[in-house]
Amino acid sequence: MNKVKIKSKNLNVHYGQKQALFDVNLDLNEKEVTALIGPSGCGKSTFIRCINRMNDVIDICKVTGNIEIDGVEVNDENLDVVSLRERVGMVFQKPNPFPKSIYENISYGPKIHGKGDTKSELDEIVENSLKKSALWEEVKDRLDEPGTSLSGGQQQRLCIARAISVNPEVILMDEPCSALDPIATAKIEELIDDLKKTYTIVIVTHSMAQAVRVSQKTGFFHLGKLIEVGKTEKIFKNPDNKMTQDYITGRFG
Amino acid sequence: MNLVLIFLIIIFSSSLFFYGRSKTKSLAISGNIKLNALPKFYGYYLVLWCSIPALVFLLIWSLFEPVIIKSIIIDTAAKQGAIFNDKNEANLVYEKIKAIHLGTYLGELDSILKESALAYAKFINIFTNSKVVLIFGIIIASTLYSLKKIKNNNKARDDVEVILKGLLFVSSLIAILTTLGIILSLLFESIKFFSVINIFDYLFGTNWSPQRAFVRDASSITPAEYQELKDAFGFVPLIAGTGFIAFLAMLVAVPVGLFSGIYMAEYASLRVRRFSKPVIEILAGIPTVVYGFFAALTVGPFFRQVGENFGLTVSSESALAAGLIMGIMIIPYVSSLSDDVINSVPQSLRDGSYAVGATKSETIKKVVIPAALPGIIGSILLAVSRAIGETMIVVMAAGLAANLTINPLESTTTITTQIVMILVGDQEFDSPKTQSAFALGLTLFIATLILNFIAQRAVKKYREKYD
Repeated sequence: MNKVKIKSKNLNVHYGQKQALFDVNLDLNEKEVTALIGPSGCGKSTFIRCINRMNDVIDICKVTGNIEIDGVEVNDENLDVVSLRERVGMVFQKPNPFPKSIYENISYGPKIHGKGDTKSELDEIVENSLKKSALWEEVKDRLDEPGTSLSGGQQQRLCIARAISVNPEVILMDEPCSALDPIATAKIEELIDDLKKTYTIVIVTHSMAQAVRVSQKTGFFHLGKLIEVGKTEKIFKNPDNKMTQDYITGRFG
Repeated sequence: MNLVLIFLIIIFSSSLFFYGRSKTKSLAISGNIKLNALPKFYGYYLVLWCSIPALVFLLIWSLFEPVIIKSIIIDTAAKQGAIFNDKNEANLVYEKIKAIHLGTYLGELDSILKESALAYAKFINIFTNSKVVLIFGIIIASTLYSLKKIKNNNKARDDVEVILKGLLFVSSLIAILTTLGIILSLLFESIKFFSVINIFDYLFGTNWSPQRAFVRDASSITPAEYQELKDAFGFVPLIAGTGFIAFLAMLVAVPVGLFSGIYMAEYASLRVRRFSKPVIEILAGIPTVVYGFFAALTVGPFFRQVGENFGLTVSSESALAAGLIMGIMIIPYVSSLSDDVINSVPQSLRDGSYAVGATKSETIKKVVIPAALPGIIGSILLAVSRAIGETMIVVMAAGLAANLTINPLESTTTITTQIVMILVGDQEFDSPKTQSAFALGLTLFIATLILNFIAQRAVKKYREKYD
């Protein structure tokens, strides 16, 4: 059992009048993949966006309660959001490469944080990130081409490489395969398996098969509440909660 | 006469609407048949069929009647012994005959004119009568035709659709043809000008003083006179002045407009945005002449005052004042358009940037603005073409002297200002001075056309960027 990396305590989120999360208590282990499943609008994405404070971007969103990473409170007003996001990378549902070259897509993050002062250091970061995201062989000869010219699956791996480039500790993935075909999905899943050696990964997914394949721990959300959490094997074979049972057997959702 | 006819046609055809509607209703009830369309469509069908042929006929008739009568009258006058040396004299005689007919002729009457005036009256009479008869004939024929159609329960809804489609097509045709006509008339007058003044003397001459060509007949210029004329129409000072003032305007409008656009799109809260966007756009609604006297009466003298304090001579009509005010006028265009393009940059790109730990300003500077750049350039180019075509402000504030200068404190002039100056007051239409206005107009048109073309290409390229 790995040690706990991220710990949420009584986390509540409101969008204006509407409450999106109710008292979520969830521990995420280091160097493990945690899958969050549940029907649409149940708060999975809202939860992971709390971990790197992406909800700050939304004006009407209000977060209360605690989230700790390595024992440090994330919801602290004095916390430097920039260095938080440096430690907690994110990959989105739809691939969103910048309309820049492949090289610039990766070097963007390191440059902002003042890493890689020389061209050769930057080259190394770009190469390593692309290698870790299993994209290097496909793009090494055309780093100057726009990132948007890649295929959907390649774009998503480019976005993963972009997240890796600033050397984070945690990678949040918000349905990273929902816009991809099965072959691209298989590649990403393989990649996730590989990445968990170095990073703590949280993945939101609608595909229960995917959760089984990639994760060690699974949390089931419903209507903003964390219904059940446990080892992936247990959740899918022998869940404690009736609702979890119904969801994973496809009786609703 | 024509107005009365049009009025009658409209009254009559609209009344047919009610007839058509009730007729088909009763037809459906008495004959117990299923109509092919709602009764009102039969009403529309009658109205359209009854009015359009007659109105079209009236239009065509009114276009050709004067031409035909004129040629007939000139013919008869010639038969009676009138001698015309050229077309102009014939036109003059025709105008005299018309004036006699209307009772406004004051000159001497000879027998030829008298006879011709009588003939004119006769022809007018014949034409008017036959016009009325023909129109009534057409109305009756088309009404009978359409009545027969609706009695046979035609597919009136589809037919009305076809007729309306035709009307819409004709309307768009008119729009295109008028544009084409304007361009052609510009072109032909410019060709006349360029047949007198060499196009290279015009394009590369550095002296603009068209008043030297006043009252000179374009058709009879001697080579000696031409030598003197050719450097009166140098285009360079005008394009330089236009470009210079537009440049000054952009110096004001681009930074202010762009920054306010960025603020509106990225930073302003919904409440601020809802309030201030319309306020900025009000600037675009102020008539340019108001900006003009603001520039001429307030800003110009203010600059001169300030300049005097620093020991500078500032002309009270300066390029600086005109450029500044024009820049203020253009701010809303730049701001509103760049606000729109920045807003249409997908949120996912911003999220991607925030997610690697970029701050808001870094995200704007390195991701949002580069992504929106083609659109921003497009909006700036649209604003430039607006600045180049602007007239009122420069007429009032920039002065009239065609100085070739880059000193913003001196007065300068623009293409549009010169067109206004050339065409104000009575003009001889065959003097090169007047024709030069058309050449200027054509050059201006081509310049703005090219700018608009580039701007639209840039905007289009931007749209394709993300998908």
